[in-house]
Amino acid sequence: MSKHDESRRAFLIGTAVGASAVAGAGLVPTALAQTNEQHKATDAPATTAQAHAHAGGHGAFLNDDDAVTITAFAERIMPGAPGKPGARDAGVLNYIDLALAGAYSDLQDFYRRGLAALDAHCRTTYSKPFAQLTAAQQDEVITALEGGKATGFTWPSAQGFFNTVRTHTMEGMFADPVYGGNKDFAGWILVGFPGAQPLFSPADLQSRDAFAGAPIVGLQAQSKTSVRRT
Amino acid sequence: MATEKTDVVIIGVGAAGGILAAELGKAGMKVIGLERGPRLTTQDFNPHDELRYFQRQDLRPNIKRQPVTWRPNKDARANPMPVLNNGNQAGGGTVHYGAVSWRMHEDDFRARSHTTERYGASAIPADSSLADWPLSYADLEPYYDRAEYELGVSGKAGNLQGRKIDGGNVFEAPRRREYPLPPLLQDQAEILFDAAGRKLGYHPFSTPRAIISQPYQGRPGCTYCGFCQSFGCHVGAKSSILVTKLPEADATGNFKLLTGATCYRINSDNSGRVTGVSYWGPDGSDNAIEAELVIVTTFIYDNTRLLLLSKTEKFPNGLANSSGHLGKHVMAHMMANVFVGFDDRHLNVYMGPSAQKHTLDDFNADNFDHKDLGFIRGSQISIGTGNLQGGPIALTTTATPPGVPRWGAAYRDFLATYFSRHAVMVAQTENLPYADQMIDLDPNVRDAWGLPAPRVTYDWRRPNERARVEFMQKKMEEIGRAMSAHQVWRAPVSPAGAPGAHHEGGTRMGSDPKTSVVNRYGQSWDIPNLFVIGSSTFPSMSGFNPTLTIQALAYMSADAIANRYKKSPGPLL
Repeated sequence: MSKHDESRRAFLIGTAVGASAVAGAGLVPTALAQTNEQHKATDAPATTAQAHAHAGGHGAFLNDDDAVTITAFAERIMPGAPGKPGARDAGVLNYIDLALAGAYSDLQDFYRRGLAALDAHCRTTYSKPFAQLTAAQQDEVITALEGGKATGFTWPSAQGFFNTVRTHTMEGMFADPVYGGNKDFAGWILVGFPGAQPLFSPADLQSRDAFAGAPIVGLQAQSKTSVRRT
Repeated sequence: MATEKTDVVIIGVGAAGGILAAELGKAGMKVIGLERGPRLTTQDFNPHDELRYFQRQDLRPNIKRQPVTWRPNKDARANPMPVLNNGNQAGGGTVHYGAVSWRMHEDDFRARSHTTERYGASAIPADSSLADWPLSYADLEPYYDRAEYELGVSGKAGNLQGRKIDGGNVFEAPRRREYPLPPLLQDQAEILFDAAGRKLGYHPFSTPRAIISQPYQGRPGCTYCGFCQSFGCHVGAKSSILVTKLPEADATGNFKLLTGATCYRINSDNSGRVTGVSYWGPDGSDNAIEAELVIVTTFIYDNTRLLLLSKTEKFPNGLANSSGHLGKHVMAHMMANVFVGFDDRHLNVYMGPSAQKHTLDDFNADNFDHKDLGFIRGSQISIGTGNLQGGPIALTTTATPPGVPRWGAAYRDFLATYFSRHAVMVAQTENLPYADQMIDLDPNVRDAWGLPAPRVTYDWRRPNERARVEFMQKKMEEIGRAMSAHQVWRAPVSPAGAPGAHHEGGTRMGSDPKTSVVNRYGQSWDIPNLFVIGSSTFPSMSGFNPTLTIQALAYMSADAIANRYKKSPGPLL
């Protein structure tokens, strides 16, 4: 994985104080700045503002079409089910979007080109974009990527693109919520991880049960209850 | 250009450099330490963050700015390795390591002689450059003892002056006294592994670690938080150089640490001596230090690279390289994993110090009969976590059981079921040295400063090493079944041949200047005021983690420099 701490920190500070700071950093200068202006304009039609606002957990880097594709792709990598939060529940899209605008900005073109190749592959094979395929078809596509059999990929390779999106999906599921995914500790609740506990007792170490001794601890927040799974 | 003068300059203030800085400072020598990264504090390690420290390797070199490339052989193109295991700050790798702290066995110091005596010379692969160390366990024992007590290591003796003690490592070489601190607490995985090992007739014990189990020297004991390997310790219970030797070095008043300082050349003159170093400061400035003594204590990549980069007309093949062995005989532990999963209990393996928690030494070194096994030397077998760290991101980077895919609903359910119900055994194999396993300068890849990247040529997939890995995986599967695990599964071992953990070699020590780079003190045979100290000097590697041996060697060299070299600079042998 790449690591660009300065840009990551700068970016996180930017997100904390609002989208205009992000725009000021030159990451998405034009479109988002205009959207903010429209938000401020009292006479702007509400529908226009809504049409430009990225309420779906992106806007720092990914465009709408790419965000739809990533959302669908990540959900097949880590599908949600009743009682089992998946990529959509955890906000994996938001994690990837923020990472590509910050720590992983060196992968922006990797994603652009990979998503374009994915789109071309799906339209050639199924005459539809990835997000409009059935779940079974989407799984076929991902299987073809994983096995290096999907056509039309050069750089990134089909396997390289799969591996990276899979890795980032896992990060979005299980990294601390401060990075934009793992919403409300969804990923940690799924697997029973209590987060950044500062200590465990001798009784905790010797217990055969799931740890339920303290709320989940994150970098900036705690859960209301402990991980309670059997 | 700024130039200053000092007695000693130490390049890289980690496991070895930190000890030398403190000890030479105490001996009244003026010491400047150069450190490429920052100096962090215990406060920097709170709270814990798996993404930052494990996944993005925040305490290790940035692979884009400081690439190290690897290729399996000379005909292949080298590419940057995706993970580097060395440190990148004051304290070096001891800040983020798992703190596993071993003394090598007696026969580890004489693996070639011992193997020849027991199995005949033909048992050693013909192309292996396996060599005895130029010192014995008995020579190093006082310094192992000193390192354990000065740094703070927790464990239980298994061989006190020849008396074998159940519950400790009965295969260890004799030690003069008990560990300074009792063993760390055991978790569920350790308890199961211990019981299974005993049932099978083996001799399991709590792994000795440089993590204090009780308050020691003003530091608090371990809190068992689990954020251990990959992380800095948030209470300072890990006995890293950052919280042990650096404060000692500061207290001497003779030590100055320069952070953000990238050494790019060791300077030498035509008299055959080194005269100091050149380095770039954090602002890009070009600086020089004139020193009576230069000690190179970076990780193995840069130990070799710096000597190669410092070539002159007098030393056209790099410093300390009249033997032609500089960069050669590189080794790495291969980490063979077997996972165990339980359906009826939790193990919560994310708790407690995360790396190699409990050990079997029955199949390490020559602790077992190798006759007709098709390989020599062995492996430490331990239990703990995959990737030596127990968080959920780490688990997603490891192998799944047969039939379980790496994504989709079945994978989600695997993670949900086994994250808190699994543990991982690791066989840390003693791979042999071979002359063509080496480090040189990459002709194609440069680092952020424009210097050629270190290039590692290495392929572990040799008959002797493959046979050893297969043997160890079967042993671990046997232990897993004896643990009554419901699932036991292997992870593939580096299919493309890339090196594993704990790299050693490149500036091999020996007793003959024709076949080694440095003597037992790490002193260059060619240039007496140049020392290289670290795992780069290991002639063989043992199945044990190298750090305590690096530290013992650093204490031994510090003694030799302070008590002998300082009075009479020149060859120590």
